[in-house]
Amino acid sequence: MKTGTKPDLRALIAGNGVLIAFVLMFIVSAAMQPGVFLRPENLRNLVNQNVPVGFLAIGMTLVIIAGGIDLAAGSLLALAAVLSMLALNHFVGLQQESLGILIAVGTGLAVGVLGGLLNGFIITKGKVTPFIATLCGLLAYRSTANGLTKASELRSLSPDVWPSFAKSGVPIPFLPAAGNQPFTITWPMILFFVVAGAFSVLLGRTKFGRHCIAVGSNEVAARYSGINTAQVRIATYALLGLCIGIAAVSQSSRFNSVSSAQMGQYYELDAIAAVVIGGARLSGGYGKIWSTVLGVLLLGIITNMLQTSGISDYWQGVVKGVIILLAVLVQRDKDTA
Amino acid sequence: MPTLETVQLTRRYGEFTALRDISLRFTAGEIHGIAGENGAGKSTLMKVLSGVLPPSEGQLSLDGAALRLSGVRDALAHGIVMIHQELNLVDDLTVAENIALGFEPLQNGFLNRRQMAEEAEARLRQVGAKFSAATPVGSLSIAEKQLVEIAKALSRDAQVLIMDEPTAVLSQTETDALHGLVRELAASGKTVLYISHKLGDLVQTCDRISVLRDGEFVKTVLASETNPAQIAEMMVGRPLEDIYPPKQFSTETGAALEVSALGVPGRVHDVSFSARKGEVLGFGGLIGAGRTEMAEAIAGLRRRTGTVRATGKVAYVSEDRKGRGLVLDMTVTENITLASLAKFWLNQRQEAGTAAEWVEKMGIRAGNLNGAVRALSGGNQQKVAIAKWLETKPDVLILDEPTRGVDVGAKREIYRLIADLAAQGLTCIVISSEMPELIGLCHRVLILREGVVTGELSGAEITESEMMRLGLGIGTGGKG
Repeated sequence: MKTGTKPDLRALIAGNGVLIAFVLMFIVSAAMQPGVFLRPENLRNLVNQNVPVGFLAIGMTLVIIAGGIDLAAGSLLALAAVLSMLALNHFVGLQQESLGILIAVGTGLAVGVLGGLLNGFIITKGKVTPFIATLCGLLAYRSTANGLTKASELRSLSPDVWPSFAKSGVPIPFLPAAGNQPFTITWPMILFFVVAGAFSVLLGRTKFGRHCIAVGSNEVAARYSGINTAQVRIATYALLGLCIGIAAVSQSSRFNSVSSAQMGQYYELDAIAAVVIGGARLSGGYGKIWSTVLGVLLLGIITNMLQTSGISDYWQGVVKGVIILLAVLVQRDKDTA
Repeated sequence: MPTLETVQLTRRYGEFTALRDISLRFTAGEIHGIAGENGAGKSTLMKVLSGVLPPSEGQLSLDGAALRLSGVRDALAHGIVMIHQELNLVDDLTVAENIALGFEPLQNGFLNRRQMAEEAEARLRQVGAKFSAATPVGSLSIAEKQLVEIAKALSRDAQVLIMDEPTAVLSQTETDALHGLVRELAASGKTVLYISHKLGDLVQTCDRISVLRDGEFVKTVLASETNPAQIAEMMVGRPLEDIYPPKQFSTETGAALEVSALGVPGRVHDVSFSARKGEVLGFGGLIGAGRTEMAEAIAGLRRRTGTVRATGKVAYVSEDRKGRGLVLDMTVTENITLASLAKFWLNQRQEAGTAAEWVEKMGIRAGNLNGAVRALSGGNQQKVAIAKWLETKPDVLILDEPTRGVDVGAKREIYRLIADLAAQGLTCIVISSEMPELIGLCHRVLILREGVVTGELSGAEITESEMMRLGLGIGTGGKG
C-alpha cells in the first residue's frame, strides 16, 4: 500500500543504506584529510589493508544468508597461514622454492576448506548450533596454530618470491607513483574483486544460491521442497573456508611472516560487522555480496578516519560500535515492512 | 452484563479500506459467529475489538458508553480477551506460569507460586481440563493448549472472549468438547465472538451469525434459521453451485502407488494399500492418528520401514503451509520453481514463464509475482504450494489438509483442481479432518487410528457416521 512519495524515499534510503553511508563517509574523510585522502595511493592502501577481512566477509555473507554464522574464521585463517608457512619453509630448506610455493598455496587453501567442512559437518550432522560449534573452532584452531609454532613468529625463508604475490600486481601507468615504484593494483586486491564477483553470481544466478536463500529463510520448508539442506549448509562453510584460505595466503605473503597468536584475530567480528552493515539479515534469507563489499570498505574508511583524527585508540571502539549500530538501525525498515 | 457494540466503525490502511461503516451488537450470554472470506475484514474487526488497532472512524461502545482502547492491555482491563489462531503460549513454561503470565501474583516482591498454582487449577477445572497446572505447555496437544488459553482468559476475568478459528486444527471430538465449553461460558453470561471458516461449526454452535464481505456488513442471521450453504452464498455474494465437482472415474486400472507394511517407529504400523492412476484416495481419522507421518514417510521425508513403490515421483503438499509448504519471504515465482530448478544455472526468464503459466492455469490471484508469497491470501498461498509440486511432474500427489484456513471460494477451486488432475490420470491422496471433504472428493477412503488402518470405505459407504466409527475404533472395522 503506497501512499505518496515520502515512504518511497524512506524505502529507497533503507534499501541502499550502505551505499549512502559509504558515499557520506567518503566525502567526510576527503574533507577531513584534504590533499591526503583522495590520493590514489592512499585509496589503494585503504582497500589493500582491508582485503583479508574482505575475503572473510564475502564467504561470511553466504554462510549468514544460509542461516549460519562462523566465529572461527579468524582462528582458521591463522592455522591455515601457519601450516602453509611451515610447508613453504620445509621445501625452501630443501632448495625447492617454486615447488614449495605451490605446495604452500595449496596447503593454505586446503586447510581453509577442510576447516570449513569440519565446521559444517559438526553443525549439520552433529546438530550443534553454528554459534557454539564455531565458538569451539575459534578456540581450537587458534590453539593448534599456537601449539605448532609455540606462539612465536614464523619468518618466511623465501625473501623475494613469496612476498611478491601481495606486493606486485597490475601497474597503472598514468597514476602518480610513490618513489621509484609504479602505482600498482595488487594481486590480492584484484583477486578480492574477482572472488566477490564470482560469489555474487553464485548467489544470484545459480540453483545453489537460491537454495542458500531458501535454507536461511525457512530451513524446514526448504527440506520439504526436496533440498538437501545439510549439504547446502556444509557447502557454504566450505566456500567460506576457501575464502579464509585465500586470505591466509595473501596475509602471509604481505608480511612474509606468520604470527600465530595475532594473525586474523577478531577478523571474524569485523567480517560479521561488514555483512550486517551491508544489510544482510543475521537470521538468514537475505543479503547481497556487493553490499557486504561496501560494508568492508566503509569499515575501512571509518578505521582510517579514526586513526588519522587523533582520537585515542582506547576510544575508537566506541565510535566504531555506534556507527555499526546506526547502520543497522537505518536499514531495519525492510525487515519490518 | 456487558454489551459490546461497534458504531459505524471504519478502518483504513493507507488508502485501502479494510472495514466500512460496521455497526454490530454483541450481547451478554450470546455466542456470536463472524463469517467471511479471507480479506473480508474479519481479522481487522478482531484487531479493533481487542485494542490492537484504533478505528479510523466510528467507535466502540461497552454497555452504552463509548470505549476507547489504548492497546491490548487496556482491552484486557475492560474484560475483552482475544484468543488467537496461533496460540500465544510459551511452550517452555508450565500451564500455571502461562495462565499467570504478565499478571503474576506477588508476595513481598517474590512470585507467589502457591497462589499461582491454586488459581490455575481452579480455572482448569472450570474449563474441564484433565491435566495438571504443573504440566509444561510444550507437552500439551493443540486442543489442550486451547483450554489453557481459555483458562487464562477466565483468570483475567474476561467478559468478552474473541475466538479466532478455534477449531481449525481440532478433531471432531475435540471440537465437540470445545463447543460444549463455549456454550457453558455463554450460559454464565459471557459474550463469545466466534470466528470460523467452518460454517457447519458456526451454525451448530452460535446463536447469531454476522457475515462480512469486502469489508462491509452483509447481514446478521439467527443460526437456527440458516444453514452453511446459505452463509456461504452470503459470503461469496453469488449463488454457489454444488461445492464439489462430480466424481469422474478413470478407466485406467494400473496402480501408481503401492505401499506395503509401511511403518514409522511409534507413529505408523503396518500400513498397506495401493492407489490407482487417476484415483482420489482419502485418508480420514483423528488428528494425531498418524496420517501426516504416513504421508511424509511415503514421500521420503521420514525414516520408514516397509516398501513404497511408485511409478514416478511422489509429491507431498504439507498441511503446515507457512512452516513447511512455502518459504514465505521468497517471491511467488521463487516458491513455484523451488522444487524443480534446473541443473546449475538459473534461468530467470524461464522461471517467470513457468510461474505465469501456473498462475494462469490455477487462477492464482497475486498482484505481483515478484512480491513475497507472504502477502497472498491463504487460498492463493495453497495454490502456489500445489503448483510448486505439480511443476515437478509427479505421478502421485499427496495433499495434507488441502483447504485448511482457506475461504469458501478458494476451497471450491481447489476441489475442482483435484478432480481435474485425477481425470488427467494423476493419483491424488487427500488427507483431511473435514469429513464432508472426503465424502465429496474421494473414490475411496482409508481410516487411520493410532497409526493403523482400521477400515476402508468406497462409494456410498463413505459417510460421516462410518468414518467416525472407524476413526474412534468403535466396533470392529469395515472391509479393510
